[in-house]
Amino acid sequence: MEIKTSHTVKYFAIIVALYALSLQAVFSQESNGASQRPVPRWPDGRISFTGPPDVIGNWDGPVGASLANDKIYNELFPQTRNLPTNLEIEDVPFQPWARKLYETRRANYGKDDPHTRCKPSGGPRMFHTPYGFEILDLPDAGHIIFISVGTPHSWKVVYMDGRPHPESPEPSWFGHATGRWEGDTLVIDTVGFNEKFWLTREGFPHTAQLHLIERLSRPDFDTLRYEVTIDDPGAYTETWSGGWLIPWVDGNEPFDYLCQENNLDGRHMDAIDN
Amino acid sequence: MVWKILLRSHGNDRGSQSVDMIGTWPLTGGKVRDGLSYFLIGLVLHACSNGTDATSTPAASPPEREQTSLAAPLPARAAPRYADGQVILDRVPGELGYWGPASITSMIEKGIKVAMNGQGLLDNLDDADKVAPFQPWALALYRYRQGNGLKDDPVRACISPAGPRHLHTPGGFRIIQDHNYNRVYILFGGGNRNWRVIYLDGRTAPDPEEVVGTYYGHSTGHWEGDTLVVESSGFNARFWFSNGGLPHTEALRLTERFSRPDYHTLKYEVSINDPLTYTRPWTSEWTVEWVQGGDIQEKFCER
Amino acid sequence: MTRKTFTKIGMFIGLVVSIPTAMSHHSFIAQYDPEQPVTLTGVVTNIDWMNPHVYFYIDVKDPTTGAIENWGIEMGPPHMLQKRGWKRNSMKIGDVIEIEGTRARNGSTNANARKVTMTATGIVLGTASSGQTITSGKSD
Repeated sequence: MEIKTSHTVKYFAIIVALYALSLQAVFSQESNGASQRPVPRWPDGRISFTGPPDVIGNWDGPVGASLANDKIYNELFPQTRNLPTNLEIEDVPFQPWARKLYETRRANYGKDDPHTRCKPSGGPRMFHTPYGFEILDLPDAGHIIFISVGTPHSWKVVYMDGRPHPESPEPSWFGHATGRWEGDTLVIDTVGFNEKFWLTREGFPHTAQLHLIERLSRPDFDTLRYEVTIDDPGAYTETWSGGWLIPWVDGNEPFDYLCQENNLDGRHMDAIDN
Repeated sequence: MVWKILLRSHGNDRGSQSVDMIGTWPLTGGKVRDGLSYFLIGLVLHACSNGTDATSTPAASPPEREQTSLAAPLPARAAPRYADGQVILDRVPGELGYWGPASITSMIEKGIKVAMNGQGLLDNLDDADKVAPFQPWALALYRYRQGNGLKDDPVRACISPAGPRHLHTPGGFRIIQDHNYNRVYILFGGGNRNWRVIYLDGRTAPDPEEVVGTYYGHSTGHWEGDTLVVESSGFNARFWFSNGGLPHTEALRLTERFSRPDYHTLKYEVSINDPLTYTRPWTSEWTVEWVQGGDIQEKFCER
Repeated sequence: MTRKTFTKIGMFIGLVVSIPTAMSHHSFIAQYDPEQPVTLTGVVTNIDWMNPHVYFYIDVKDPTTGAIENWGIEMGPPHMLQKRGWKRNSMKIGDVIEIEGTRARNGSTNANARKVTMTATGIVLGTASSGQTITSGKSD
């Protein structure tokens, strides 16, 4: 495009501004949309992570989201929901073996992802798995329960009764999770994971030393902000954080999703060479 | 007093050998089905199933019911209620617990008694026709499944023990009343750690002819006094809805009634209406014991 | 300002403000190759209404040799299809359908369908494909 006249310069400036804005929208968002609905609260003032009784819906884990910005993955499926504070993949403090494993998994298109073999989605994996999850905040019962469709079709408990972690928790898919409120942010501390799942579909590795600190907040009606600190000296040389925004979907309800009944994904992916 | 003893073989065949070796006999001695004799004098053998074994059976660990029957009787306690008077089918604030052992471990027509083990495997195959009012094809299928030692049980492929069977699956369950969206969730500790949702918002169920059948069906419910009445339809036929392999088809409709006559007891009644499988509607019922202070452990079927 | 310049500006704006819409998720990429789009017409031989993906199978006739190949076509989960208006009798064995989709990476006669057209009626059915950007239509 030729820059010829002052008119053209003005239009060029508009284009540059629009371009900058679009990048801002894509890579720096802290909100999913222009929802005008007020964030719901329970009668005691506690923020609600579900809808008011007349607004059915739930949270749909987004595909375009990961713990860090990875240009290679971004070409395959644009990560438009990453938090603006996410690290670049080069800056993630992998242990050398963990970086190598991550890169191998990436080169293989994640063909060995346990989630695609219908294994439970521990850790952050649940939060970017689609089909919807509900958050049941049950203070009388002393816990919060996540009802998830994609995990597959299972439920996770976060104890809110002040209990400590057990000394040596039995390794499990969901770990032992305890939570507390910091204002309007739910902070979940989890230990006791097994090593049989991937932290995200991109294949961030972890070990049994994994300790997660997750922070959930709701900046507006339609947005659940998920940020997690990964504390795993076995796989990473220091703690680091990342996360994404999860959209509310009106009308979403939990549904039957027995992944085990006819899963052919593994068969289709096993042909890929290492 | 009768103790259930499970002797598990570790052959390559996943389960059929172990099924053959299950027996129930008096503490002082007995014979297992495969003809071996074991004499037990004041000794209880208990083999816990591997927590991830798809062939876990209801008899795999000492049923807590039998443990509690050794302890002092539980103090009488009324069913807890919300401020509006609705019965609480789950925990009271500050206490833990879940629904654990059932009074029978296999679904059978109310009033009928036949000898079977914790997996619903009949002691005597000739008792098959007493279990439910089968259509002839269904009786033949049930006899076939039983005669095979239940080795075709889809739970071995991690297909959920859905329907009333979930209340008979080791691991326990919870019933969560969600007053915000007017739903009830049942959370299962066994099988695939699934949940089931019951809608109490007055919606109509979809026509089962038009929707794809599911494992948990479509459930709607309402309260009749202190009883939660749940109607379900829209099931597929790819699972066994009872321990022991009672058949069903996509025509299945269930009416379930959950009530809590006292703090420690859940009463469960289910009406089975499947005219393609049974000659008439029939009912089964049992009670489930609250495990005070306990918590459901994480367990997933892994294949 | 010439018309030509306006056009160039318009194209540039279109390019920079467009949000990428081809959000292929990961398991999709591992199984299907976006570089191999396919369009197939065939007769439905079987439909498996099961999770995690509904599969249906079509006999496709090679136009030159006349040989018949059976293709497996993947869509989203049953619930997602039903949310998009599918009923269990929307597609029947014997129906002639056309699919547009992406071929399996391993070269087998399998594809992930983005669009299904019932040849007899012209009705187009969305597939809740795991290779699409529909908010609740993604899998894995």
